This record gives sequence, structure tokens and C-alpha cells, in this order.
Amino acid sequence: MKKNKLIIIYAVLIFIFLILYLSLDNKKIYNTEDLVGKKMNEVDLLYFESEGTFNTREIFKNKFVLFNFWASWCAPCRKEHKNLIRLSKNKNLEIIGVNFKDSPQSAKKFLEELGNPFSILAKDPDGKQSINFGIYGIPETILIDKDSNIVKKYVGPLNLKDVNEIRSIVEK
Amino acid sequence: MLSNFGITFLSITFLTSFLLIYLSFNELKTANNKIPKKIYNFSSLQLIFTILSFLTLLAGFVVSDFSMSNVFENSHSTKPLLYKISGTWGSHEGSLLLWINILVLFSFLFLFYSNNNNKKFQLYTIIFQNFLIGTFLIFLLFNSNPFSLLFPVPNEGLGLNPILQDPALAIHPPLLYIGFVGSSIYFSAALAALISKVETKLFARVIKPWVSLSWFFQTLGILVGSVWAYYELGWGGFWFWDPVENSSLMPWLLMTALFHSVLVLERRLGLYSWVIILSILTFTMSVVGTFLVRSGILNSVHTFANDPSRGLFILTFLILMVFSSIFIFFKYSTTEKNTFKFLSKEFFILINNWFMVFFLLVVLIGTMYPIFLDTLFGTKISVGPPYYNFVLAPFLIPLLFLMTSGPKFNWISSESKKIFDLVFFISLFIFLAILFIVKEKNLIVNLTLIFSIYLTIQSLNDFYKAFKNKSINLSRVISHFGFGLLIFFISINHILSIEKNFNLKVGDEKNLSKFLIKFENIESYKIDNYQTIIGDFQILNKKNLIKKNLKPEIRIYDQPKTMTYEASIDSNFFSDTYLTMSNVSDSELFNIKLQIKPFMNFIWLSVFILSLGGVLNIFKRIKKV
Amino acid sequence: MLNPKAKIRLSILVGAILFSAISIFLIFKTLEDNIIYFYSPSEIKQINDIDTNKSIRVGGMVKDGSIQTKKDEIKFIVTDFKNEIIVTFSGTVPALFAEGKGVVAEGKLQDKEFFLAKRILAKHDENYMPPEINKNLEQNAK
Repeated sequence: MKKNKLIIIYAVLIFIFLILYLSLDNKKIYNTEDLVGKKMNEVDLLYFESEGTFNTREIFKNKFVLFNFWASWCAPCRKEHKNLIRLSKNKNLEIIGVNFKDSPQSAKKFLEELGNPFSILAKDPDGKQSINFGIYGIPETILIDKDSNIVKKYVGPLNLKDVNEIRSIVEK
Repeated sequence: MLSNFGITFLSITFLTSFLLIYLSFNELKTANNKIPKKIYNFSSLQLIFTILSFLTLLAGFVVSDFSMSNVFENSHSTKPLLYKISGTWGSHEGSLLLWINILVLFSFLFLFYSNNNNKKFQLYTIIFQNFLIGTFLIFLLFNSNPFSLLFPVPNEGLGLNPILQDPALAIHPPLLYIGFVGSSIYFSAALAALISKVETKLFARVIKPWVSLSWFFQTLGILVGSVWAYYELGWGGFWFWDPVENSSLMPWLLMTALFHSVLVLERRLGLYSWVIILSILTFTMSVVGTFLVRSGILNSVHTFANDPSRGLFILTFLILMVFSSIFIFFKYSTTEKNTFKFLSKEFFILINNWFMVFFLLVVLIGTMYPIFLDTLFGTKISVGPPYYNFVLAPFLIPLLFLMTSGPKFNWISSESKKIFDLVFFISLFIFLAILFIVKEKNLIVNLTLIFSIYLTIQSLNDFYKAFKNKSINLSRVISHFGFGLLIFFISINHILSIEKNFNLKVGDEKNLSKFLIKFENIESYKIDNYQTIIGDFQILNKKNLIKKNLKPEIRIYDQPKTMTYEASIDSNFFSDTYLTMSNVSDSELFNIKLQIKPFMNFIWLSVFILSLGGVLNIFKRIKKV
Repeated sequence: MLNPKAKIRLSILVGAILFSAISIFLIFKTLEDNIIYFYSPSEIKQINDIDTNKSIRVGGMVKDGSIQTKKDEIKFIVTDFKNEIIVTFSGTVPALFAEGKGVVAEGKLQDKEFFLAKRILAKHDENYMPPEINKNLEQNAK
């Protein structure tokens, strides 16, 4: 009697905990990995400091380009910044920074403090252009190849593993 | 600098909890019935060092030491001092540190002030409590360290989410934590009581003040949270059946059940196993709530950063806790004989427990069902407030009635009493008078009104009697009075609330059946750390021609850049006029929500009265000892 | 034969079990009636018989340039990059409601094109998306 009761209780509890465990694994962070392999959208971006815009397809025709979306208010961006600086030393790669919903002053301060890894710095003050890249949260990083195909997307801060991966893709 | 101090203090705390477990185990083998001084000393030391670690984090926030990533992520140098301080427990890491402080505080208080002359019981309680402290310290140090460093050191912090910058929310977490983390002490005591085979009456006497204490703080915590939701979220409601709110309500229901059944156990009338189960369940539910809130598996209006590794830790902890409790329970529990008399006081308390467990099931199922459905079938659903209202409302009526009648009966005896007495007819008369004014047609709402009035009047009557007759339990009378009032005012508020939505341009008027609203003007200022847009509205009540001037705001904060809508509330004691304004895409039309919310102040007041009964319970205990 | 005392005990026990069973049944019955399903605009297009009386949630992105504020309502388009639905709503919107942002609208369908919202939920920051939306957008981005 007592034993049966115990078995039932354990079975029910194990079931509940299993579900809770599985629900933890359910992906909650939005990602657009599926865009990988497709052509990059053509987007006009504003220069960060000078006037005017540039088109994402016209630049760096024969190089790998890394788009990095960041802001000074974003804590993980600060963490990944040193990895971007590491990548900026790579000759086959140009990094385009897109400053996302930020105030120019604090963005400038951020770069003065931590260094500027970007070949071109663009801004997206209201976050509308970034949507065309499939960006909803930051930091996010997109690697495109010489023919503007999306090779990789990184949601969240870049870590050392990502850096090495990018290096190996670019140097191939 | 501060970071090193903090980590050192925490490590010492960890060491002391380890030592306390070791010493207590050793002490169990000795024959004398006195707890040695060194255990008291280590417990004091442990308390001092946890408080020091907390103060270190607090200092980090006050002096804006951005070398600590927790301070950097949650504070800003221009923030008012109050919010720098409340930032300490505003983040996940900081709140966990507060958790540990409360665990340690209760371990200390129990050791020093719960002198029950049963060494084995006391030592086992300390051992279990320190197991909890130790595990949470490991979690804190290795997964959610509030003292982790950031390099290079930033000049400025990111700021606390403006929606959390509110005095009510500054004190909400500490209150709630004292409530549900406080329940850990009777969790530990319950396990200890099983192993040390403590006398049942003694167990009831020992845990009673702790149950009352945690219940009191939990009630206040929930109250403050509701007040915050009402003033800050701008929806005009005070309870949304949001998963985060539910997870604070579930332990509350169990605490309520627990201190009712403790009354029975205190008189040695049985329910021992049940009280043990409830004690274990209360803290378990608190941890379940923490898991749901902190792991991010719930989709809630309250946004918490989600990190699966935290969830995994809490889940692992929960599993260990539940399985070892079940193991201990089945190994040590003995079968008891309960002799229950029909229509006795203990019979009614048992029914109260049935209701509390039922309410718990309703809330638990409503909260967990979406998670289960999503995990098993991938169906995305949410459970709305109608579910809770439909299921709970009909059960409130018998509950209110039993709360009125139950206390009239005596312990053990089973004589029948007159139930529909003079008080009932007075209440019915008052109800009819109210019905004449509000003209409500819904049967359930009307029945709820009748029985909440009955409970309130009966409690008033008992209150009067309590001065002549000392045997009447005053804390019960006060709490039941508060509960009756609460349900009464919630029902009235539900009946009389008005909500109107419309869009207006500056200078326009809106003509409603009872009100005339004029959008006079709009102004914009720069204040401290935000930009504000203030609308100026005149609201004319057509009936009594009273004019009100309301100024809702749209605030745009810099650090971090966020927008909040501040409702403007005109409270004239009996009724609140609640106006919110929003604006999208810089349209010249503003979206306006006008709400008339009667008796809001009375709702807050009733919950406060309800909680007062709990305080009385704590002090009564102390006086007797 | 049972003695009277045992009889009372038995009837209390039976009563309690019956009462509990009815209550549990009530919980699940009400739950069934009151759960709100979540759909993306594409899923709505695939529903064959729409129930205009049942509350549902629709989620996706607020389409760029689609918000119109009129005298008594706000009108906007929710898109999941494949299909769209027009949502009308009267009342104040949450602070994070904006074009190009994730949104969840709760209300009733009028037909496959129009949705009448009673409540707009858009409470999340830049680093957070309501989990319900994520999955659908993810699938549609393919």
C-alpha cells in the first residue's frame, strides 16, 4: 500500500520535472538562422558621423564583410567588443558597425573607451533599417561573403569560438 | 576592491554553514541536552558575514562602482539614492543574495529565539537550513555572482529599468522574500521534527510564530506589488493573474492553510502529518515560483532576463529537495489516528484547508498548463483572467459563509449552532440597500456581496464581544474582518468600474454619457534623467458638475532609453479617476483611457487589516513564552 | 451493519471525494473554455472555419508605416513576413508598441483579414521577444 503510493507519487513527480526540464530547452531567444545561405537584402544605411547614406551591396565587393549591430547601452555588446577588435586585424575582412538606437555622444564615448574595430560605422537611430537584416535584438552579427551571401548569423555576443570560426571561414 | 570583499564574505558564510552542519552532526551524538556555545557563535558569525556581503553590494551601488558588472548593468551615477539602494536587489544576482541573507537570518533567529528544549530537533533544523544556505551559496558564487568583475571599467552604468524605479517596487521584493524565503525555516523544522520524532504539540507551538511572520510579510508583499501594478503599469487593474503574481499567491494560500491547521495540532487534535506536508509544500511552492519566474519559461508582463542555466540549477535544487523530503517523510512518518467530530471547530478548519488547496490547484494548473501544452504538443496558448474568475468566484461564497460560521463552533464538541442569526438578517438588509443603488443582476456577484457583508458584520460583532470574553481569538477576528471587507470592496469595485477608450487631439473634447473630457494642452519638459510630455485634461462629471484636472505623462528615459506611460490618478478617498495617455508614430491623436475605479483605497486598506491579524498572532506567542 | 458513527464518517468521506471530483472537473472544463490560442497571420489564413466569438491572440511584427491613428481607433498591420492581418484597437497601447516591433494582440477575428483587438501586449525590451512569436517568425523566415 505504502509502496504503491510512493511509486505513483514518484512517477507523477518525475513526469512533471521532465516537462519542466524540457521546457527549459525550448528555444526562447529569437533567431533567424534560416536566413543563412540567402542573398543579403539591399539596405541604405546612414553614416554615423558624416552626412548621407551608403548601400550595403556597393561596398567592399571582393571582401568578406561582417555586420555588427551594437549600442552603448547594451551590456553584452561591451563583452564582445574585444573580440571585434581581434577580428578587425584580419586583412580579408571588413567590419561594418551599425549603431542601434543609441545617442551619438554615448556611442562615441563607448568607442573611445574600448577602441574602434569598424571600417565603416553606420547608425540606425530608430532601429528601422536593422529590421531589413532580420535584427530585433542586439548584439547580433552577420557575416557575408564576397557575393553578398549570408554565411553566418550570430545572435548574442561573439565569443572566442565564434572569432575562430569567422577567421577560418575568411581565410579559406 | 569591493568585489573582493564581497566574495570573501560570501566564502566565509559558506564555510560557516559547512561548519554548522559538521558541528551539529557531531553534537547529536553527545548525551547532554544543551546546545554548545560554539554553535551559537558560528551562527552569529554567519549572520554577520552574510549581512556584510549584502552591505558590500549595497555600497557598490551607492558609490556607483562600475567595476562590478552587476552595478554596471543595473545602476547609473545620476540615479536617485533610493533607487541606487533598491538596485541592490533589483537584479537576479542581487535578489539571490537577499534570499541567502533571509535564509541565514531565519536560521539565526530560530536558533536563538525558538528555545524549545529539544536539542535534537533544534540541531536538525539548523542542519537542514544550512543545507539550503550552502546550496544557494554555491549557485550564487558559481552561476550568478553579484560581485563578478568587468574589465575595462566603464565610466557609466546602464541604469535600472525605469518601470522598476518606483518606491513601492523598492520595498516589494524584500517584503515578499521575507515571506516566502522565511517559509524555509518551517520546511527545515518539519524535516527535523520527522527525524527527531518530536512531540506533535511542541512542533505546532514552535512553527506557529514563524508561519504567522512569513504569512504577514507575504501578504504585505503581495499588497505592495498590487499597488505598484495599479499605479505603474497603467492598465487600471491591481491583479492580472499573471504567472509572476500567481507564483507569489501559491505560497500564500499554503501558508494560510498551514496556520489554520497548526491551530488544530496545537491542541493535540491530530493533523500532524498534514501539517508536516503543508510545511514542506509551502517552501517547495516558493522554490517552484522562483523557478518559473527566474528561468524565463513563462511569458509574463514582468520581464526578467532569462538564462536557462539558472533554471537548470533551480530545477535540480527543486528535484533534490522534493525527493529527499518525500524520502524522509515516508521513512519517518508514523500513522496517526485522527478523531474528528462533525461540526466542530477542527472540522471547519479542515474545510478551510480544502478550499486553500483547491485554490492552489486552480492557480497552479492555470499557470502550468500552458507550459505543459507547449512542451508536449507545441501548442501556444495562454490562460486568461476569465478562467480564474469563473472557477474561483463561485467557491468564494461557501468559503465566506464558512469563515463566518466556523469560528462559532467549539473545539472537539459537535453541538449544532444557530447559523442564520440576527446578524445574518442585518447583513441581508444592508445588502438590499446596496442592491437598490448599484442594481447588479449577476447572481454570483450578489451572493458574494451578501456573504462578504455577513462575514464583515459578524466579525465586527465578535470584535465587540472579544473585549468582554478573552477566549475569542482577536487575530482571527481581525483577519476575517479584513478578508470580508476585501471581497466586498473588490465586488463593488468590479460592479461600478467604468472604462472608456478613445483618441483625442489637443484642444478636442470627448462627450461620454457621464463625463465630458477636454484635452486642453500639452507640455514637454526635461527632468533629471528623462524627457516628459504632460497632457492637460479637464474632466467634467455631468451629474455633480465637479471638474477635475488630470495630467497623464509620457516619459522618455535616457538610461536605458525606454518609454513609460504614467497614469494620472485623482483619488478622492471613495473613488479614483484614472487617466492614461499614449501616442504612437508621432500622430497628432493621442490614445486616451479613462477609468473610474471606486473604493481602491479601501481595497488596499482591507488587505492591510487582513495582514494585521498575522502580526497579532506573532506577538501573542511571544507573550505566552 | 455500520454503526451510526462510522456511517457519518463514511458519508463525509464520500461527500468530500465527490465534491473534490466535481471541482477538478470544473477546473478543467473552465480551462478548456478559457484558453486563448496563439496564431500567426499565416496560421489564420489556413483556418477553415473561423470562430468570431472566441478570443485568440495574434502575434507578429507591426508592419513599417502601417500604423494609422483615427478618432476612435488605432489601425495597424501585423505581419509574419508571409501574410498580414489588419488589426484595429481602441485604447492606450503599451510603451513598447511601435512600428517594426514585435506585438501580440488579444481579441477576436472578424474575418480572415480583420482582427478586433481588446488588448495589446508588447512588453519586452530590445533583447527580448515574446516566446510565442519567435517560433513562428523563425519558421517563416525560411
